[in-house]
Amino acid sequence: MIRHLFTLIWNRRRANFLLVTEILLAFVVLFAVGSLLVYNQQNYRSPLGFEYGQVWRVTIDPGSQPEAERTATLQQVVQRLQSIPGVQYLAYITSNTPFSGNSSNTDISRTKKEGASIGVNVYGMGDDMAKVLGLSIAQGRWFDKRDDAGTRPPILLSQDAQEALFPQQSAVGQLVYNNGGEYQVVGVVPNFRADGDLASPKPAIFRRMSLQDSSFAKLSSFVSGFRLLVRVQPGAGAALERQMNTEITAIGKGWKVGITPLSKQRAAQLKKVLTPIVAMVLSCVFLVVNVALGLFGVLWQTINQRRSEIGLRRAMGASAGAISGQVVGEILVVTTFGLVLGLGVAAQFPLLGVLGVSVGVYLTAMVLATGLIYALTAICALYPSRLAAGIHPAVALREE
Amino acid sequence: MKATPLTPVLRLSEIEKVYQTRDIETVALNRVNLTIYKGEFVSIMGPSGCGKSTLLSLMGLLDEPTSGTIEVNSRPVESYSDKELAGLRNLKIGFVFQSYHLINDLTVLDNVELPLLYRPGIGGKERRQRALEALDKVGLSARTGHFPSQLSGGQRQRVAIARALIGRPEIILADEPTGNLDSVMGEEIMALLLGLNQQEGTTIVMVTHDEQQARQTERLIRLFDGSQVG
Repeated sequence: MIRHLFTLIWNRRRANFLLVTEILLAFVVLFAVGSLLVYNQQNYRSPLGFEYGQVWRVTIDPGSQPEAERTATLQQVVQRLQSIPGVQYLAYITSNTPFSGNSSNTDISRTKKEGASIGVNVYGMGDDMAKVLGLSIAQGRWFDKRDDAGTRPPILLSQDAQEALFPQQSAVGQLVYNNGGEYQVVGVVPNFRADGDLASPKPAIFRRMSLQDSSFAKLSSFVSGFRLLVRVQPGAGAALERQMNTEITAIGKGWKVGITPLSKQRAAQLKKVLTPIVAMVLSCVFLVVNVALGLFGVLWQTINQRRSEIGLRRAMGASAGAISGQVVGEILVVTTFGLVLGLGVAAQFPLLGVLGVSVGVYLTAMVLATGLIYALTAICALYPSRLAAGIHPAVALREE
Repeated sequence: MKATPLTPVLRLSEIEKVYQTRDIETVALNRVNLTIYKGEFVSIMGPSGCGKSTLLSLMGLLDEPTSGTIEVNSRPVESYSDKELAGLRNLKIGFVFQSYHLINDLTVLDNVELPLLYRPGIGGKERRQRALEALDKVGLSARTGHFPSQLSGGQRQRVAIARALIGRPEIILADEPTGNLDSVMGEEIMALLLGLNQQEGTTIVMVTHDEQQARQTERLIRLFDGSQVG
């Protein structure tokens, strides 16, 4: 019977051309949106590499205070904040704080020669940041006082940066090169995804930020002001926020302070990123509903046009169930023609390595889109198939 | 070769068929009693609207009588489910229609194979073999790959007859098989049906308007206003 259905649909290919085209287009759109969703879902399920709960971002704008005085004032502020009971740990960070949408990129390599470098996100962080963000250390250690005496600036790599630069070997103690500078790797942390839940993992490096470091001023004034991340005690709320604000502005006269929990920033960023995705999904749903209605209408009309054929098949020995099955079977065969073409188009993406997305994402999207299209067409065929099964053979045979 | 017409293949007893609409009740058949024996060639005649096609639909198990009993091989079919009736149609009955009822998008061979698609246990190879044999019987072996639109009316009806034969049914029901054909082609088809009946013993019931064709059959049943008059 399957061969018969394929023969029938193939012989009616001109009549089915538009239907096949419609299914092909619906598949391509579903595949595209599916790839986007699968890609984002995979990112969402990947660990961020840090803990953002109970962590607040403190943004300090020193206003018109002379640059030479800022570091000393900040040191006082940090000491004062550390003495507040609700504050557990705090550390400096560059402006690309988690979920901020800011990024800082550079290239690093194993050799001084150019060409063997990889692109990374670069973060400047203070000594206590591992405690603030709950960073686990995969190899080596985080920055500490030992680095004050180091001959080369210390640096940490994320796991993916380590795998790219030092595959199958330890990175600790190795040297890496960035913008002519020579750094010593002191540790490796798991993949770090400060760009957010839906962002793809990108190799990262971490440079030390210390008030004693001459590069601190450069790092911190890259974007005006300083940023701190503060781990607060569980349950800390508005009272602690007010206290911190008061203490900072009491020391730093004229300083402007902003305090935001990272969880709040994460939610805001997620909303911003999800909005276009939701809009795209809604457009896709609208398209799919349109395709479904179109299919339903075409099938209904086809059944009415083929009443005498249905009557004939009943006379030849087809039961009502067989007629119903044939209607569903035919549309599934038409769908198969459309999907074969669609899968041919979709297969080009992983084959050509378009957009740098993993093959698994495309394959999952193909399976999902294929399943959805089959389900959709089968559902659309159910009612027309029942209509077909209900056609009275004696009446249908007399109609021609 | 011809079988003795004693074994009943189909028996209709006290058959009534009434079409009921909201305003009108139309009696299509009124207390029809009829037995078709194995190997017979029976023709049914009567004016338009007298119930010939209705009678043929009932004999072909395509419709149910309002009252009365239909027996196939001495077994009443009234309690049969839709699936069982479909199976019975497939095994026991072959149909030939005035307007051929070929599927235009299938080749001659595929059209002839159609009844065997609904018969479990018959593979594609056997189906094809039997279709070729059936087409050989009707003299259309050279047209297997043609589509119905590429054939003349007479050839189309031959295809329809081959389709009726492929399932080796006990009875062939032909509803005005020459009604759409000119006299020459009509005679060809009639000769084919007579040959099947006389040489292979196929039981045939044929509705016709043609007295001359009816006289060539063994038995003539006349209907008038839904009643059997002869």
